[in-house]
Amino acid sequence: MTALQTQLLGVSMKNPVIAASGTFGFGREYEAFFDPGLLGGISSKGLTLHGSKGNKGVRVWETPAGLLNSIGLENPGVPSFIQRELPQMRRIPSALLCNMGGHSLEDYEQGASLLDGADIDILELNISCPNVKAGGMAFGMEPATAADVVRRVKALCRHPLLVKLSPNAPDVVAVARAVEAAGADGLSLTNTFLGMAIDVDRRRAVFDNVYAGLSGPAVMPLALCLVHKVCKAVSIPVVGLGGIATWRDALCFLMAGATAVQMGTAGFADPLAMPKAIEGLQAYCQREGLANIHEIQGIV
Amino acid sequence: MAVVLENRCVGPEVYRMRLAQTPSTPGQFYMLRPLEGAGDPLLGRPISVFDCVEGDSVFLYKVVGRGTKLLSRKREGDEVAAIGPLGNGFPLEDANLTLIGGGIGIAPLYYLLKEHGRLFPARKRRVYLGYSGESFLTEDFAALADACKVNIGGFVTEDVDFGLGGLYCACGPTPMLRAAKREAERCNTRLLLSLEARMACGVGACLGCSCETLLGNKRVCKDGPVFPAEEVLL
Repeated sequence: MTALQTQLLGVSMKNPVIAASGTFGFGREYEAFFDPGLLGGISSKGLTLHGSKGNKGVRVWETPAGLLNSIGLENPGVPSFIQRELPQMRRIPSALLCNMGGHSLEDYEQGASLLDGADIDILELNISCPNVKAGGMAFGMEPATAADVVRRVKALCRHPLLVKLSPNAPDVVAVARAVEAAGADGLSLTNTFLGMAIDVDRRRAVFDNVYAGLSGPAVMPLALCLVHKVCKAVSIPVVGLGGIATWRDALCFLMAGATAVQMGTAGFADPLAMPKAIEGLQAYCQREGLANIHEIQGIV
Repeated sequence: MAVVLENRCVGPEVYRMRLAQTPSTPGQFYMLRPLEGAGDPLLGRPISVFDCVEGDSVFLYKVVGRGTKLLSRKREGDEVAAIGPLGNGFPLEDANLTLIGGGIGIAPLYYLLKEHGRLFPARKRRVYLGYSGESFLTEDFAALADACKVNIGGFVTEDVDFGLGGLYCACGPTPMLRAAKREAERCNTRLLLSLEARMACGVGACLGCSCETLLGNKRVCKDGPVFPAEEVLL
């Protein structure tokens, strides 16, 4: 499938489809449905230095063509990931992205130092999780704080650095530019959109955290617009995500300028959504006579 | 996609649906969705297997929202997106069996009752069914049990003698499970709980259905839905 061959931050991938963080565990959960090695890459569940039990109360809530989640970065922590999850994740012949968030600059720095010595392909820095208080997204809202955490992590970690941006920043393009200037090798966007649900029968917010993150087809036009704007504004590679469910959706993000895409929520509805998208992109290249899918990258 | 062989109302907003070629063991579930591909409603709904006949699972579900409403409108020959079988299910043990079901929580107990009777005919099977309003499918249970007691509007756990030994299994609303857990612990009785939770993926990836246990967080969909009562924190 050379038509889908993709280079991302110096990493060679067999196709541009990556499983999005937080939707694919550490790569084993969908083995009963398809070979995860078919994917271009897999981004790990978002890790924090010390791990977390995640949020209490309702964690998932369906909305029209969308999903609100408030998982709260439930994860085993960076050291446990390196020891227990990484060896088996590494056996999957796909690019390995390690997604890491933090509650403080010190957390980010210590986590990055630990991962510096680990066998991963790309560090995906999460400065955009909306579901943990005083963490994650707080760093991604303003250009200065985003640049600061990126600069510190870049200095401590030899792996290519992909910075995952929040769509909730007042000026996403300004954050993207600042992160690029601070040394990021690439950007991934968008994380989930801040949303809310109210249980009218109980007269209270559905989520204990009140606000949650919206994903799924409902957000795709919003995410596509931001990816397009950011691709025009920066010169580093961009990984597009947000509501992609089919090969056509993936193609939209590539045409908007993305080098690769991530899919997540769609796999909850249909476990085969990603392998189907890969097949669809392959068939598209054949039909259109493209030697490589990236011939259409950024044509819009 | 699985073909609908039967889908009919068997109680107040309760439907029984048989899907072709959907194998399962007692206590497992499927994620069922009224349409294929991306769209609305977006996600499958976790639906318990009530019975399994010649490789076709028979599901029992209550209409509570848009997803289950659309499922209830499926006719024979229509198709439903079905992911499964999922979850660990109940163990089948050569011991007397006591089943406690509340409302739609009776769903996973019938298949267990049937298989237990087939494998261990010499053992005793007692069933306690609790309903807040109109009861349903009680005769199906009674036909396979040595004793079947129905409680309407009260607390079904108050009918149960937790000191008879053997294995106890319960599924129903959380207050019912909590009461069963308390009584089982008091009597030093082995009790398994089948938990319900909102789920997005059903396969252990999204962590939307995590529950607290003595051994840390567990996923209801993948590590459960059946857990030893003493392990879970309700």
